[in-house]
Amino acid sequence: MSICDKTAIVGIANTEFSKNSGRSELQLAAEATRDALADAGLKPSDVDGMTTFTMDNTDEIELARAVGIGDLRFYSRVPHGGGAATGLIHQAVMAVASGMAECIVCYRSLNGRSGHRYSSGVSGPLLTADAIHWGWYTPYGLMTPASWVAMYSQRYMHLTEQCQEAMFEIAHVQREYAAKNPAALFYEQPFTLDDYENAKRIVSPLKLLDCCLESDGGSAVIITTAERAKDLKHKPVAIKGVGQAAAANMESMTSFYRPEIAAIPSMDIAAREAYQQSGLTPDDIDAAVIYDAFTPIVLWQLESWGFCESYKAPQFVLDGALRSDGRLPTNTHGGQLSEAYIHGVNGIVEAAKLVRGSSVNQPAKHIENVLVTSGVGVPTGGALLGSL
Amino acid sequence: MTPEERQAFEEELYTFVGRPLHPEPKRSYDAVNEAMIRHWAEVMGDKNPAYTNAEWAASSRRGELIAPPAMMYAWNQEGYAVAAEGRPSDGLSDLVAYFDQHGFTGSLGTNVDQEFFAEAKIGDALFEDAIIEEISEQKVTARGRGYFLQTLAKFTNQSGELIGTQRFRVFKFIPPEAPPKAAASGASEELEVPTRIHAPRGQDNGWWWDACDEGKVLIQRCKNCQTLRHPPRPMCGECQSTDWDSVQSTLDGEIFSFVEMHYPKFPGYKYPLIVAVISLAEGTRIISNVVGIDSQDVKIGMKVKGKVEQVDEKTMLPQFYPVEA
Amino acid sequence: MDYQTLKYADVSVGDKLAALDIDISSSLISCGALATRDFEPCHHVPKVAQDMGLPDVFMNILTSQALMARFVTDWSGPEAVMKALKVKLGAPNVPGMVMTVTGEVSEKDDDNRVVTVNVTGENNIWGMHMEGSVSVQLL
Repeated sequence: MSICDKTAIVGIANTEFSKNSGRSELQLAAEATRDALADAGLKPSDVDGMTTFTMDNTDEIELARAVGIGDLRFYSRVPHGGGAATGLIHQAVMAVASGMAECIVCYRSLNGRSGHRYSSGVSGPLLTADAIHWGWYTPYGLMTPASWVAMYSQRYMHLTEQCQEAMFEIAHVQREYAAKNPAALFYEQPFTLDDYENAKRIVSPLKLLDCCLESDGGSAVIITTAERAKDLKHKPVAIKGVGQAAAANMESMTSFYRPEIAAIPSMDIAAREAYQQSGLTPDDIDAAVIYDAFTPIVLWQLESWGFCESYKAPQFVLDGALRSDGRLPTNTHGGQLSEAYIHGVNGIVEAAKLVRGSSVNQPAKHIENVLVTSGVGVPTGGALLGSL
Repeated sequence: MTPEERQAFEEELYTFVGRPLHPEPKRSYDAVNEAMIRHWAEVMGDKNPAYTNAEWAASSRRGELIAPPAMMYAWNQEGYAVAAEGRPSDGLSDLVAYFDQHGFTGSLGTNVDQEFFAEAKIGDALFEDAIIEEISEQKVTARGRGYFLQTLAKFTNQSGELIGTQRFRVFKFIPPEAPPKAAASGASEELEVPTRIHAPRGQDNGWWWDACDEGKVLIQRCKNCQTLRHPPRPMCGECQSTDWDSVQSTLDGEIFSFVEMHYPKFPGYKYPLIVAVISLAEGTRIISNVVGIDSQDVKIGMKVKGKVEQVDEKTMLPQFYPVEA
Repeated sequence: MDYQTLKYADVSVGDKLAALDIDISSSLISCGALATRDFEPCHHVPKVAQDMGLPDVFMNILTSQALMARFVTDWSGPEAVMKALKVKLGAPNVPGMVMTVTGEVSEKDDDNRVVTVNVTGENNIWGMHMEGSVSVQLL
């Protein structure tokens, strides 16, 4: 049995994005959930399941009680930071398609700027078994997300041409989108090539504008059966396929021991799975929301999903593919580089809007199918969304 | 604070903006004088003859001594009364008290920007005219939640000539928790020099770090099928054997990829800091530092040779050097 | 003694100043505070500083400013005229530390013959103590 078209996203919401939300992560999650239910035309009592990140600080039952959600019969969490984003869809689809639950809230909220900032790295006191893993890297100083991604990036730059130019294009195109998105933290704040080149060095080869924001906010999406979706407020956004994968010889962010590291085999597997379930091919995909914690990781995912040959993503990007009138308008909300960093779930919201036709930067062409992906470097995944 | 309380708090807070610190410009207790300048210059180790060598100064382009510009704010300071009786009240202390009453008891000077328009001479009286120039919206920093306040002080001399301005920025915040009580005895403790962050040593990795402490880099080897593996793990992925021994690496290697760390900087690490993935001659890889080379000269494919070194008081680590071609 | 002052034309953006190590002692902290008429007890009474969560008395801002200014005028020479001194404060300096001060010319203003030197002072325990810039008018 394929899960294609069995379930749909029927409600979506973000809170506002900020550097200082002034309220708890629980409240952000509750507001996003309430608003996503309202968007769907559903009541809290319709919800019977929840999915979120293992990294999320808001307990399912706290959220349920806050929003007035009643009995829950399904809850599940996905590990590995941003790699969990479309994993929330993966879990929800399995539960709804199998009849284990009927209406699921996928949520994520974080005070990622005013609270704990991920850019501070893993240098604090480490209390988990993770510590032994990070212990192979911290003594040498390799201990921030930017540093792990920079290691893959240097290798990729070595094997490709015009990677640096493509990194600028990604950052720049997304900022242009954000500049036209009133919800984005960088609304009306474009930048120039000079700004990009003169920005602070973070971990060479990455500079400041290659790195995503740190922000406060919450995002939620509601998933239910395709059948029920037809009677709700908005055009249903069908889940055509969703893959999740951890390729062989994987470490969380530090898979430096594979024969080649300038690629992300986990995403290759997730793509294969999602295409297989959906029967779609790369040619059927009209737009994308590609996880963009750092600019280079967008390039590798374009290759994984078959939009271009291996090591040819820089040329694909430099042909203008990511722009509104390009082959694959991408991160039209501004992405995590320029809208907000809600661990990829604001990206799911944007992907659903693209299918509905309601993105603030909706491309002129017809959008039938949209790709949305999770963070990479960690076990990851991606989902193909489309019209029912 | 409830939303209503915060609104009321901020409404009154922003009425402080523009208020003067003193009812009228405050005159320095002493005119600019050689004794205080000498005292200052001795402590700061500042041998600039423009401040203390009258003979040199007379023959200089200025023709006379000047006060060190960095002393500008010192002349109008309150003095010993601050220690004996506490700081006298002024416009700023009213604002500070208002913050304190509402829980924003933390205080941290963050910026002092001075601009100089003329040099103060011996005999000058300095007049300080200061206002509360700015109060930010509420911000969250690593210290906590609070507001930045900025004062602007203008210093003029007895003839009304502008000597300079100073903008002083202070963060007033709610301290997250009571500060830890250090050294209850009152005696200063030895400061601990930070070192690199070590790996915790467990059953599966402790032996590797113990060998590193003794100057050796080992590579785990399956006793059954002889496959090498790194980082260590308890079972061989090829044959599922849990029997293993190890070989010592010669630390001949080649750079497979590398990065240079810029931001944030971590205490205990020396910068510039280059971290690389190194392919060892034995066939496994190791993450380590590349040292003894300028960062712009590091290249993928470069041959390197490692040795285990003491990198700080508590840490032995392999460090890799470029191999001369 | 023969004192030299730098000529504007002889300075280039990117020029580095010789690094200066300063031993942070209780004497430097307390006497620096008094020399700048800063009689706040946290700069001369260890117990008061400890109640604030620090191990010992800590350097007052006016001493940090003085050390940054001196670092640049030692380099520029005595005829240089200071135009600006901008200091952003970081971790405290407490006794037993060593602060390394470094600087690099970051800007030249031809019209006024003013050069700006970016300066950082890092201590060996907690890192960045001060960063900022000093602008001086040269001959």
